[in-house]
Amino acid sequence: MKTTQVLQLMKVVSWFVFIGFCIEVGAILVTTTISIFHNPEAAENLYLGLNLSNLYNFSTQNYIYVISFIIAIAASKAYLFWLVIKMLNKVNVTHPFTLDVSKIISKIAYLALSTGILAIVAASYSKGLWKNGATFDLDWGSQEFLFMAGILYVFAFIFKRGVELQEENDLTI
Amino acid sequence: MPITINLDILLQEKGMTGKELAEIVGITEANLSIFRSGKAKAVRFSTLEAICVAMDCQPGDILQFSE
Repeated sequence: MKTTQVLQLMKVVSWFVFIGFCIEVGAILVTTTISIFHNPEAAENLYLGLNLSNLYNFSTQNYIYVISFIIAIAASKAYLFWLVIKMLNKVNVTHPFTLDVSKIISKIAYLALSTGILAIVAASYSKGLWKNGATFDLDWGSQEFLFMAGILYVFAFIFKRGVELQEENDLTI
Repeated sequence: MPITINLDILLQEKGMTGKELAEIVGITEANLSIFRSGKAKAVRFSTLEAICVAMDCQPGDILQFSE
């Protein structure tokens, strides 16, 4: 498979993932609103089997907080994939090392770190709720985000050096 | 930059244009312009050699160090 084809495929996959996360955010927002204002039973299946009915019965306020964390993390993931699409649109195979792409990679790394930190905060908050008697099962995936942020940061750093080298090469007569 | 490029003066002396030199040396006019303006970060020995041959001069005639 040629590099351009791989990039094209990645772009299509990224669009699907981005749309998927947007749908997730929208669906959770809608079902949460329904569960709070109209039908509490909607908390049993917020999105793809996400059941927070126990938490809803435990405390509505905490239910809203946990949902806010879920929405914030899903929105971050959607934005992360939006940045990936933006980066893939800017990649030029003949001159791959550009400042624009380097900046986007750094931005993705910092976004992944922020999402990881947010997931840690959400996980600790959930633990606190479990200790107080709330029962619900959620995997926040903070470790994965921190790991990804670390790798992307190193990658961004190497890419930045690549930009410098390409600029040097372009200005060599 | 303490290293200045005297290519413009040499071209005038030889009555040659930048376009002609670029053709003889085998580089683009844009690259020659980068070299003439002093914006180049590096010069290949092969390019310098080709310029010296085309202009019938020494590298020291093209490059000059001044503090």
